[in-house]
Amino acid sequence: MRFLLQIIATAIAAFILEIFLPWYSIAIAAFVFGFVFKSRANFLAGFLAIAILWAIKIWILTGTSSSDLPARVAQLFTLPKSEYLLLISIIIGGFVGGFAALTGAILRPKRREPYYIPRTNRLY
Amino acid sequence: MESRRALKFILSLGITLTLIYFLDNRLTIGAVTTPPLGRFVDPFHGFWANLEADDARPPEELNIPGLKDKVTVVFDSLMIPHIFAANDEDLYLAQGYITAMHRLWQMEFQTHAAAGRVSEIIGKSEQIQNYDRGQRRLGMVYGAQKALEGMQSDSTTRMMINKYTEGINHYIESLTDASLPFEYKLLNYRPEPWTPLKCALLLKSMAQSLNMRDKDMEMSNALKLFGPEIVNLLYPDQEPVGDPIVDNPGNWKFNPVKLDTVPLSVPQQMIPAKPELIRTRRLPAADVNTGSNNWVVAGSKTTTGSPILCGDPHLGLNLPSLWYTIQLHAPGVNTMGVSLPGSPGVIIGFNDSIAWSVTNAQRDLVDWYQIQFENSSKERYMLDGKWVATEKVVEEFKIRDQPSFYDTIVYTKWGPVTYDEKYHAEDNKKHYAFRWIAHDRSIELLTFYKLNRARNHAEYMAALNSYSSPAQNFVFASVSGDIAMRVQGKFPVRRPNEGKFVLDGSKSSSGWHAFIPNDQNIAYKNPERAFISSANQYPVDATYPYYITAVSWEAYRNRRINKILSQPNKLAVADMMSLQNDNYNLKAEESLPVFLNYLIDTTAVQNFTAEEKAAIDILKAWDYYNNKDSEGASYYEAWWDNLMPLLWDELEKEGITLSKPSTFTTIRLLKEVPALSLFDIQSTPEKETAREVVRKAFALAVTDIEDWKKTHGTPAAEGQAASAATDAHWGAYKDSYMEHLTRIKAFRIPVETGGNHDIVNAHSQTHGPSWRMIVSLERTGVKTWASYPGGQSGNMGSVHYSDILKRWVKGEYIQLLFAPSPEKSAGQTYATTTLTSEEEL
Repeated sequence: MRFLLQIIATAIAAFILEIFLPWYSIAIAAFVFGFVFKSRANFLAGFLAIAILWAIKIWILTGTSSSDLPARVAQLFTLPKSEYLLLISIIIGGFVGGFAALTGAILRPKRREPYYIPRTNRLY
Repeated sequence: MESRRALKFILSLGITLTLIYFLDNRLTIGAVTTPPLGRFVDPFHGFWANLEADDARPPEELNIPGLKDKVTVVFDSLMIPHIFAANDEDLYLAQGYITAMHRLWQMEFQTHAAAGRVSEIIGKSEQIQNYDRGQRRLGMVYGAQKALEGMQSDSTTRMMINKYTEGINHYIESLTDASLPFEYKLLNYRPEPWTPLKCALLLKSMAQSLNMRDKDMEMSNALKLFGPEIVNLLYPDQEPVGDPIVDNPGNWKFNPVKLDTVPLSVPQQMIPAKPELIRTRRLPAADVNTGSNNWVVAGSKTTTGSPILCGDPHLGLNLPSLWYTIQLHAPGVNTMGVSLPGSPGVIIGFNDSIAWSVTNAQRDLVDWYQIQFENSSKERYMLDGKWVATEKVVEEFKIRDQPSFYDTIVYTKWGPVTYDEKYHAEDNKKHYAFRWIAHDRSIELLTFYKLNRARNHAEYMAALNSYSSPAQNFVFASVSGDIAMRVQGKFPVRRPNEGKFVLDGSKSSSGWHAFIPNDQNIAYKNPERAFISSANQYPVDATYPYYITAVSWEAYRNRRINKILSQPNKLAVADMMSLQNDNYNLKAEESLPVFLNYLIDTTAVQNFTAEEKAAIDILKAWDYYNNKDSEGASYYEAWWDNLMPLLWDELEKEGITLSKPSTFTTIRLLKEVPALSLFDIQSTPEKETAREVVRKAFALAVTDIEDWKKTHGTPAAEGQAASAATDAHWGAYKDSYMEHLTRIKAFRIPVETGGNHDIVNAHSQTHGPSWRMIVSLERTGVKTWASYPGGQSGNMGSVHYSDILKRWVKGEYIQLLFAPSPEKSAGQTYATTTLTSEEEL
């Protein structure tokens, strides 16, 4: 659950930050929520958050445009299909998100199991 | 434990930051430089963000400081803007803003290219630096500065360029990371502020591609190598063919300017006792295929009874399109047509009362002067027996990510010394100064301001008086029924043979002494035959009192156009459309029978291969139309392309600057002087005449076509082996494409069409009809049909980047929306944008 929440929070924060800030603001979002959530798989959470966010954005952009720009850029990068370009794009975003999330999670000290709160009643 | 965590943290942070750093900067791997990958692929700011939704509309309201009043811009479904302003200032400000909105990158890149500043964008490259230096050494910036002085000296043109500049800069200021044009993201740079000088640079760039052509060095060499007789045979001043643009014998009733007192400077002095050939490897000149057609038919010859004017400039076909279609409406003006992105006003178009279009006037307006310096310091040069001071200008060439490069350019009375021992030093003993008409101060923009507002023939004539360069054949028609043509430009009065050869720069008498007065330029109005046309042919009948020379004259399109227009039946708009798309190859009609006759020798046994026999059959059955599905056209053109270099191999001497005779002269000599010694192929021991060379070229052509078929078949697919193409139809064999201005191959758009150079539909591989326009000047309202290879948007991610190209390829036209108000445009309005300034609200 925490893992899922981390993905959603990171993606939403990255989306908002990208409105005002350059592309690398995705790292800030992933870092902050890596710190806050510190799930079991922080790299994966950061990676997926950005990859999914970017994939959705690209899907919306390509869905409303019949331009062949992606195919031409793919050709420029000697890729056989524009789908590979999408894959490369989200992997690049994913790696930055993943490492940033990992960094944030490492910064946070390990949560200790507080003995007086029953495990089932934990807030997070 | 904590220190281990700290180490992990530092490591992880380090990886993250390093990753961001590398993805935020350009990477150079071998010869390839990538854009900053993270920034480039980010869908919120990178190239994906340049994808425009197919139904995207410009914003409904824009706040633009500096406007005096509200401006309404109506966009039709092709994204053509129709600007309605309350005054001229707002009109040109809005034109600047809207043009930049669609074409900013192109506008800036073209002016960088004109000014020799490409290295600033691309970086260190010998080829590009050579290009940049060439531009400065040809005086492109020098000429633009003179033009700017001219434009600033007149209050109207000063207002135009200042307001237009202001509009562009407002757009540049509004750019965000996301809305930055694609090419800036790819090459990772940002636009700089626009300046009025850039408007001037753009006009000079146009002049360069139309008018910077000469063969003075080539002709001087030919004269020394072959003597005057052969020179006149190979490069005659005028070819015995064609229909001049203005045929008005005996009606040149004025006193021409005479230069009898000035001694002739050519050609005797050009033949020194000891032949000394020029070895300079010339910078590329304006492409020989850059030409144009225009014509006008009087109402007495049209089905509607109103004049029809047609324009069709042929230029290098690039994307984004060279032209930007626009309507400009303000009190006193309602004009539409094409503008050059980077220059205010409409260049080719029409208004409520008149229409005009241009073709290139092929006159020689370029001269080279050999300079004799006192010593290697180049402080002084010889002029009329005295040492005269030069002027030195140190040009800085900024190079991306590298220290600047400096080049000292020496200016003389004639102009900049282009070639010397530091630049194109193949002939390091000689220095050549460059004189070009476009170096002179002028105000062409005033011509377009006035043409956009002209109501009749008299106002058209008055408008042209301020037009200097590049010289054009201005065709004209008015709703009131007049048709006219005027060859307008600033033309030096030339003495016989002057301008054909390199001149002696040490004598003032070698220079231009006077210019033909405007009212003595070639022009006429309402001729008896009820039509006028121009297609870059020799401009005038033999009774015109001035000596005229040019690198070459067009010989085929003009005759074909005039033949069609001379038909007795009345002409309709549809006839004009089919004439603009006419693929008839008159050159083939006049040469192929001769070639076939030389090829097939009935008296001897000839061993043709199976492919050659098939080719002969195809050629014999060919109807001379270069239609895209024609195979005969491919064989003929392949034959011709192999023939020219074989015939004129003598003119390709290693390291000696020479040029080939024209197509028409070549064919004439093939027919009339088949035993010309120059036809012999030097690399073979036999002595060839035209007949043998034609045969050799044929064998090579068939081989070329067979090789082409092998590489252009169906590629191997699942379960099927690759197969060769079964035919080589012209549309495919010609291999035409639209090149992106960056020349990146991945951005090329292939187009399959008919036509070729020397054909009315002049679409060769890379050059062709850049704006087909047909204007019917009816009293009930001017109607216009047009088409061009491109689209309004310069954004590769927009459907409007190439939507008009798709129609152009098929020869289709669009009837332009041309209404007197936004309200009257209703029904054809796709989007409306209101521009207001904040102060006003």
